[in-house]
Amino acid sequence: MSTIDLTLQIWRQKNSDSLGNLQTYTLTGISTDMSFLEMLDVLNEKLTKEGKDPVAFDHDCREGICGMCGSVINGIAHGPEKETTLCQLHMRNFKTGDILVVEPFRSRAFPIRKDLIVDRSAFDRIIQSGGYVSVNTGGTPDGNAIPIPAETAELAMDAAACIGCGACVAACPNGAAMLFTSAKISQLCLLPQGKVERKARALAMVKIMDEEGFGNCSNERECEAVCPKGISIRNIARMNREFIAAALFEG
Amino acid sequence: MWFVRFVSSSIGKKVTMALSGLMLLLFLCSHAAGNATIYMSRAVFQGYADELHSHPLIVIVFSTGLFLVFLAHISLGLLLFLQNRQAGASRYTVSTRVVTNSLASETMPYTGLCILLFVLIHVFGFAFGPTGEMISDTVKRLLGHFFYGLFYLVAFAALALHLSHGFWSMLQTFGVNHPRYNKMINKLTYIVPLFFLLLFGGIVLYFMTGRGASF
Amino acid sequence: MELTSRTPSGPLAEKWDNHRFANKLVNPANRRKYKIIVVGTGLAGASASATLAEQGYQVHTFCIQDSPRRAHSIAAQGGINAAKNYQNDGDSIHRLFYDTIKGGDFRAREANVYRLAQVSNNIIDQCVAQGVPFAREYGGTLANRSFGGAQVSRTFYARGQTGQQLLLGAYSALSRQIHKGGVKMYPRREMMDLVIVDGRARGIVTRNLINGTLENHTADAVILATGGYGNAYFLSTNAMASNVTASWRAYKQGAGFANPCFVQIHPTCIPVHGDYQSKLTLMSESLRNDGRVWVPLAAGDKRAPSTIPEAERDYFLEKKYPSFGNLVPRDVASRNAKEQCDQGKGVGSTGLAVYLDFGDAIKRDSQETILKKYGNLFQMYEKITAGNPLNEPMMIYPAVHYTMGGLWVDYDLMTTIPGLFALGECNFSDHGANRLGASALMQGLADGYFVISTSIAHYMGTTKLDAVSITDPHFLSIQKNVGDRLHRLLRNSNGSPTGKVTVDEIHKELGKLLWNNCGMARNRQGLEEALEKIPGIRETFWDKVYIPGTGSELNQSLERAGRVADFLEFGEIMVRDALTREESCGCHLREESQTEENEAKRDDANFSHVSVWEYKGDEETPVLHKEPLTFEFVTPSQRSYK
Repeated sequence: MSTIDLTLQIWRQKNSDSLGNLQTYTLTGISTDMSFLEMLDVLNEKLTKEGKDPVAFDHDCREGICGMCGSVINGIAHGPEKETTLCQLHMRNFKTGDILVVEPFRSRAFPIRKDLIVDRSAFDRIIQSGGYVSVNTGGTPDGNAIPIPAETAELAMDAAACIGCGACVAACPNGAAMLFTSAKISQLCLLPQGKVERKARALAMVKIMDEEGFGNCSNERECEAVCPKGISIRNIARMNREFIAAALFEG
Repeated sequence: MWFVRFVSSSIGKKVTMALSGLMLLLFLCSHAAGNATIYMSRAVFQGYADELHSHPLIVIVFSTGLFLVFLAHISLGLLLFLQNRQAGASRYTVSTRVVTNSLASETMPYTGLCILLFVLIHVFGFAFGPTGEMISDTVKRLLGHFFYGLFYLVAFAALALHLSHGFWSMLQTFGVNHPRYNKMINKLTYIVPLFFLLLFGGIVLYFMTGRGASF
Repeated sequence: MELTSRTPSGPLAEKWDNHRFANKLVNPANRRKYKIIVVGTGLAGASASATLAEQGYQVHTFCIQDSPRRAHSIAAQGGINAAKNYQNDGDSIHRLFYDTIKGGDFRAREANVYRLAQVSNNIIDQCVAQGVPFAREYGGTLANRSFGGAQVSRTFYARGQTGQQLLLGAYSALSRQIHKGGVKMYPRREMMDLVIVDGRARGIVTRNLINGTLENHTADAVILATGGYGNAYFLSTNAMASNVTASWRAYKQGAGFANPCFVQIHPTCIPVHGDYQSKLTLMSESLRNDGRVWVPLAAGDKRAPSTIPEAERDYFLEKKYPSFGNLVPRDVASRNAKEQCDQGKGVGSTGLAVYLDFGDAIKRDSQETILKKYGNLFQMYEKITAGNPLNEPMMIYPAVHYTMGGLWVDYDLMTTIPGLFALGECNFSDHGANRLGASALMQGLADGYFVISTSIAHYMGTTKLDAVSITDPHFLSIQKNVGDRLHRLLRNSNGSPTGKVTVDEIHKELGKLLWNNCGMARNRQGLEEALEKIPGIRETFWDKVYIPGTGSELNQSLERAGRVADFLEFGEIMVRDALTREESCGCHLREESQTEENEAKRDDANFSHVSVWEYKGDEETPVLHKEPLTFEFVTPSQRSYK
C-alpha cells in the first residue's frame, strides 16, 4: 500500500450569509486506495481532534449513484477522472506534493449552505414542473401492452442514468442546467408513455429552468465532459427540437 | 405572446442566434459565389456587379434584411455574452476547461466583434467608395494595399474560427445531433470555414502579392 | 403489548381481497381533511406519499437528504421480481410466494408474503406507465433475467441501475404531487422523535439540518419509511446517512421491534482495505455464476495468486457443496468465506478476503464473453481497487447488506402504536429470516403503492381523532426532550478535544463488536460478551464524545452523533434477540444449532415465531413477546445445498 502527502485548499464558508475563503490544510500518509471522500473523512477526524470545525460536505451512498456528493477539484467538477463521481475518485489519481483546490459547485441557482454543501433544490423544482408522466397509482395497462423497441429503451435509459448531481451546472461556463433538464425531457419524450405530454412538459421545464437562474447554453460541451454518467449533449439537441416544436405548434 | 415568450427563453435566444447565423451563412455563400467571379476575369466580375446593381430594389431589400439580421445576431450575441458572464465568469479560484479545442467556442464573442469591425470597414470601403469608380478598380486599389490586405486576412481567420464553432453550434441548437452523422458534421466544421478562408483569402492574396496588378 | 396481526380469513389467494373489502373507506371529499406524515422518500416513502396525495390526503413528507431523489433505494442494482410469467417458464403468484417464504426460511407470515406476490405484477405495470426504462427484448416486450438462484426468470431490470430507475419513477410521481400541492416536501429534515397523544401517533419532531431548528409537525397518521439499520455495524453497503433513529424512537415510544437480529450479509463485496474505510461496495452476486471461489490451502500463504499452483488451492465451496458449488445461497457463501479467513487462509493485505477467480471461465468462454457479462462490474472493481479481474482473481468479502428485522407491523402495516405505520425495509414483514435477491424493491413499492392506502383509509374510517396543535403539551415536552438530548451530546464541545473520543471512533468500536459477535455466525458466549461490552461503549460515548460546533447550525458531526447514540442502544436489543433465538435460521448460523455436517439447523418446534421486543425504560430489560407463525398453506422444509 503506498501513501502520498497532499496540500489541500478547501473552500470554507460558515453559512449562506457569510463570506467564504480558501483555507490550507496538509495531510500526510494518505493511502492511495482511499476514495476522495475517505481522504476528507481523515481530514475531518484530524480537524475534530484539533478542536476545529470539520469540513462540511454532502455525501451519502458513496458508490456513485445517489448524486449527493460533488465538488470542484482544481477546476474540474468531480475531479480529474472521467465519468466518476467524487466518492468514486480514488487518491491513486494524485501524487505526493499535489496541491488540490477544493471548491463547491458554484452557480447562481445553487446557493452555498456551508463549506462544500450547496442547495440544489432548483433541480427538484425543474422536475416538479413536468418531469413525469401524469399517471396515478393503479389502473395502468399491462407492462407489455405497448411494445417499445429495445434501441428506444436503451436511448431512454442513457438519458435516465442522470443522478442529478449538478456537475453539469458547475462545469458550464454559463452555469446552464441544459444537460440535466434535457436528460429528463429526452427520457420521457422517447418513450411512448411520455409522448402524450411532451409539448407541455418541454415548455414548462424550460420555463422553470430559466426562472431558477441557470445560464444559457453556448454549446461549450463542458457538461458532457464532466458528467459522471456520461450523458451526451445529444439530449440537449433533442430537448431543443422538443422545445422548438412545442413553442411553434403547441395548442 | 408565444413568440415573445419563445425568443426570450434560453433556448429561444439560442435558436434566434442560430437562425440569424444560418442567414448570415447563406449570405456569405451568395457573397462568395459573386466574389468567385474575380477568379474568372475582370469582365465577368464587373458584369456580375453591374447586373446586381441594375436591380436597386433587390439590393435595398437584401441589404436592409441583412442589416436587420446582423443587428439581431450581434445584439443577441452581446446580450448572451453579458448574461453568461454574469452567470459564470471567474466563479472558481482555479478554472480548468476539460473540453479540448475549446478555443473557438471560448472566443466566439471576440471573433464576432472582430468580424463586426471588418464588416464596418469593408462596407465603408466598398459601398461608400469614391463615386464613379468601377468596383473592380476599388477592389484592386484597396486590396493592393498591404496592411489593408493583412487586416482582411486576419478578419477572415477570425471568421473561420467563428464559423468552426458557429456551424456546429447552429446544428446542435436546431437539434441536429445523431451518431450516424456526427462524424460528417465534425468534418464540416473544418471544411466550411476552410472553404471561405481559401476563397476569400485567395482573392486578398491575389491583390496583396501584386499578382492582381493587371486585373 | 398485544400482537394482533389482523391476518384476514379465507383461502390464501382471497385474503387480500377479503381484507380490502372488510376495511373501511374514506369518502374522496373527506380525505383532504386528513393530514399524513411520511418520513423517508425511498421506494416505500416516495410511492406512499404520491399515492396518498393522489387520493386526496394532505401529505407532508420528510427526507434527510437535500432531495427526495437520493434515498438509498437508489443504489439497488439487480432488479425487481414480479410473478408476470412473461417468459412462460412456469412462474406464478404462488411460486413467487413460495420462493419468498422458503427463501426467508419460514419466518414470515404467509398472508403478507402472498399479498406481496400478488401485487408484484401491478408494480411492473405502474412503473412502465411512469416511464421507467426497463430493459426490452428486440420485439419490444419486457426482458427478464434469472436472479439470485431463482429457477425462473422473473426479474425485471434497467441495466445495473434498477433501484435508481424505480426510485426516480416514484420520485417523479412525488414531484407531480408536490407541484399540485398534494404533498408538502421537507428536505434536509431529520426525524428526532415521535409524538403520541392519547395513545395514538399524532406527529413528529424534526430537526432542520440546515439551521438546527427543532420543528413540531402534527398529523392524523404517521408513516415511517426510514429503511434499515445495517449501519449499526459501521461498515455496510448502506448509505452513510442510513440509520435506525426513526424506528428506534418509535420503539422507545412503545412500538414493538421485531426480529432485530435478522441481518443479511452479502458475500460479494469489495473487501475492506484500511481503517479509514467508510463503507463497503456491493458487487452483483451474478459474479458467482462464472467465478470460482478459493483460498490458498495453507494458512498464511502470501504468494501472488498466479504463483499458487492448482494443487495448493482450496476451492472450499465446490468441495463442501458439490451440487451447488459456488452458487450456494448468500448466507452459506458468506459464512464459509469468513470461516476460511478466521482460519488464517484469507488473502489480500488485511487477510480478510477470498479470491473469486475468472481464469477458468475466460479459458472456457473467451475473454469477450466474460466481459460482455461482467464488463461493468470489472470496471467498477478496477476503479475501486486498481486490480483487473481479467489478469488476477478478484478479492471479495462479505458485508452487511440488508436488515430483515424492523418495526413489528400487522397485516395493515400498522405498528403496535395506533396511527403509526412502517413501510419498506423499516418494517419486518415479508422477508422472514432472509431476503431473496430483487425482492427488496418489490416490497418497498408494494407497501407504498398498493397496500398503505387501504390501511390509512381503514384507520381514518374507524378512528375518531381530536385536533392537536404543535403547542400541545405532548409536543412541547417531546421537543424539550429532543433539545435536552442534543444539549447533552454537545456538552463536551466547549472544552478541549484532548482525552475525548470522536463519533466515528465509537461507531467503529460498536461496529467491530457487532460484526465479530453478532454477525453471520453467533454463539452464546460471544453474544453475552457483546451484551456486557455495549453499555461500556455507550458510557464512553456519552462521557467523552467530542462534537465540534453547535446545535444551531449545519453540523454533520452532531447528526452522526445522534444516530450513533441510537445505534448504541439498538445494538443491545439486536444482541439480546440473537441470544434468545437459539436456532440457526435464514441468514445467520447459531453455532449451538448445527447439523452433524456443520450446517445450519432450524428449530421449528421452539422458534417458529416472530420475536417482538417491548421497551420498558432505559434502565429496564426489554420484554420479549412472541407472535407465533403458523403455516396453513406451505410445509416448512429444511434447506440443503449439499
